[in-house]
Amino acid sequence: MKMFTCIKYVPDTSEAEVKLNAEGTGVDSSRFSYDINDADNYAVEESVLLKEKYEGDVTVVSIGPKSSDVMIRMAMAKGCDRAIRIEDERIADHDPLMVARVLAGAIKDQEFDLVFTGCMAEDYGQAVTGVALAEILGVPHAAYVKKVEVEDGKVKAHRELEGGLREVVEISLPAVLTIQTGINEPRYAPIRGIRQAQKKELKVMNLDDLGVPVEEVGADASLVVLEKLYIPVVESKAEIIEGDPDEKAEKLASILVKGGLV
Amino acid sequence: MRGMKMTTENQTFAEKFDLLGCIQCGRCTGGCPVTVRTNLNVRRFVYDAYDEDLLDELSRVAEIWDCTACHTCAVRCPKGLKPLEVLIGLRSLIVESGKTEPTVRDALESTFMEGNPWEKPRATRNDWMEGLDVRIAEPDEKVENLFFVCCTIAYDPRVQATAQNMVRLLQKAGVDYAFLGTDETCCGSEIFTLGEDGLFEMLIEDNTEMLNEYQADRIVALSPHCFTTFNTHYPDLNKPVIHYTQLLAELLEQEKLAFKGELAKKIVYHDPCYLGKQSEVFEEPRRVLQAIEGVELVEFNRNRERSLCCEGGGGKMWVESESKIERLAETRIKDARALGADIVAAACPFCVITLDDAVKAEGFEEEMRVAEIMEILEELEVVQGQSSSAQEVED
Ligand SMILES: Cc1cc2nc3c(=O)[nH]c(=O)nc-3n(C[C@H](O)[C@H](O)[C@H](O)COP(=O)(O)OP(=O)(O)OC[C@H]3O[C@@H](n4cnc5c(N)ncnc54)[C@H](O)[C@@H]3O)c2cc1C
Ligand code: SF4
Ligand code: SF4
Repeated sequence: MKMFTCIKYVPDTSEAEVKLNAEGTGVDSSRFSYDINDADNYAVEESVLLKEKYEGDVTVVSIGPKSSDVMIRMAMAKGCDRAIRIEDERIADHDPLMVARVLAGAIKDQEFDLVFTGCMAEDYGQAVTGVALAEILGVPHAAYVKKVEVEDGKVKAHRELEGGLREVVEISLPAVLTIQTGINEPRYAPIRGIRQAQKKELKVMNLDDLGVPVEEVGADASLVVLEKLYIPVVESKAEIIEGDPDEKAEKLASILVKGGLV
Repeated sequence: MRGMKMTTENQTFAEKFDLLGCIQCGRCTGGCPVTVRTNLNVRRFVYDAYDEDLLDELSRVAEIWDCTACHTCAVRCPKGLKPLEVLIGLRSLIVESGKTEPTVRDALESTFMEGNPWEKPRATRNDWMEGLDVRIAEPDEKVENLFFVCCTIAYDPRVQATAQNMVRLLQKAGVDYAFLGTDETCCGSEIFTLGEDGLFEMLIEDNTEMLNEYQADRIVALSPHCFTTFNTHYPDLNKPVIHYTQLLAELLEQEKLAFKGELAKKIVYHDPCYLGKQSEVFEEPRRVLQAIEGVELVEFNRNRERSLCCEGGGGKMWVESESKIERLAETRIKDARALGADIVAAACPFCVITLDDAVKAEGFEEEMRVAEIMEILEELEVVQGQSSSAQEVED
């Protein structure tokens, strides 16, 4: 089984206060630590588990800076076989569609059975990349996957829906699965393993190497313009609606209508 | 499987831990404090690990994670073995396979990526310094005392006061000091006991190189874990390492430091395993406490090398014991109450955290408290030695 696993190097915003950069277009990341996107860590584990079960190989793909090599080496120490890191400033990487096009550029001409992504990246939380990637590759997908069963040219993907519901879909291979956290228990990459993984291939490529035209993935191609980032103001305005359920519903509906929300 | 030797650097497991030296006298298990609450029998592992075919199975026995690395077994072994290191060797097999507990995995990954096991960014390591004017060491500037804070003291709000009060004391007493910048990195004490040899070796290499660059006369460690780890596992450090209680005892003796004010409290001092048993620093912390007027220093029955482990070491901060039997820290706190102590003093961040939890678990908050020695000193005025102020203390 040939697999690709897309992983992203993201800041951990849980431990340090989030502040904007001077231009207001990004976050001041000087006090954050960076690590593999949580869901992607599970995606790596799932691909390695499948490799251990059915044999095959896993290629890691990541768009990111040199500093993310440590994350890629860790994934290879866990069992992934090789990696492609794409670094090119011309990619409009705030737009998941552009990112998906670049990832597809790295995967499309190669043979594959399964492509794994995380269900959502923690930085922007778009939850779009994996699905867009499937569309561009022209293969079916299942998003928010909590369990994978491979059967003869098909995969049964157990998806987690809103409210914790489960849906089981059967899709034909090749396919893209976006992996939800908790699907497995990611293993530890021992330092000796990371050192040994230095021997595995890590190809660094740019758009030209991939043959992806910048006109398709650069700022001009993107329909998304990041105008401004701001930290929402905490407000403490609340209106408690009193009355029996019918009265409450009526009052609430009229507030929503007045506010132009429905 | 025979013939497939579990070796580290070409040594067999038995050779590495000198298993054939064991005479099965049982002193290790006999002194092991956790046997009262778990099934750990360290002698069994020393015996069974001789059979290479059993190693895999032994490494999967849950009890190997109950060891707190208190070193009682090593202190007691008549043959000079370190039985606990057999358990650590077994833990290493699990770590190498990648199948650690998630909490252990996260602590190890964080140490690799950010230099601390607490999953905190390296960039925030010195946030405890906010509001203090701390002198930061520069490699080419001479300094007498170069401080090594410890990941736990740097990041855990419960024990940050140890470092903060140290800065105030050093400034008042006019001591020549400096702290490391955010490149201070985990000493690896708990990485070693969690069985991640490869990472531990990397930390030793990197820290030795980093610390050797500084023009300091000596390193002063705030935590007994860093202190003991530097002294036992860092052969190439080019300067001596002392514990801060040794520095304070020295300043008091040379009359360069004195405390003004009175503290009429009954204090019982808890010997941390890493400071006492492992490094034999018993008297200096006591001397510091005795230098405070009004303090009545009392002793646990189990004191000095017999001190009861608080269960904070051995990587136990990241591995929960299944046992429902009373924690050793709770036993310790009950003993302290029986002595009528107002304060349980400790000089180790792990002891402070575990004993503090035990006070809360027992509901003794009203009658007693756990304090790091540096927290106790904060209540007093620190004066620059000179005989005049020293006399004031004696008045
Ligand atoms: C808040 C929210 C909740 C949702 N809940 C559900 C739900 O419960 N069930 C459901 O079915 N659908 C849900 N959806 C919708 C749907 O599943 C998503 O549209 C879909 O999962 C697409 O996610 P994404 O991975 O493309 O998003 P992104 O966050 O853009 O990207 C995530 C993944 O793409 C890869 N990737 C991104 N950038 C890079 C890079 N630079 N290098 C390498 N790889 C990269 C990584 O694998 C990463 O984890 C939800 C959507 C949102 C926004
Ligand atoms: S104390 Fe030493 S010699 Fe005695 S059983 Fe334990 S390891 Fe063996
Ligand atoms: S180090 Fe302490 S807890 Fe561990 S086996 Fe030895 S005596 Fe028991």
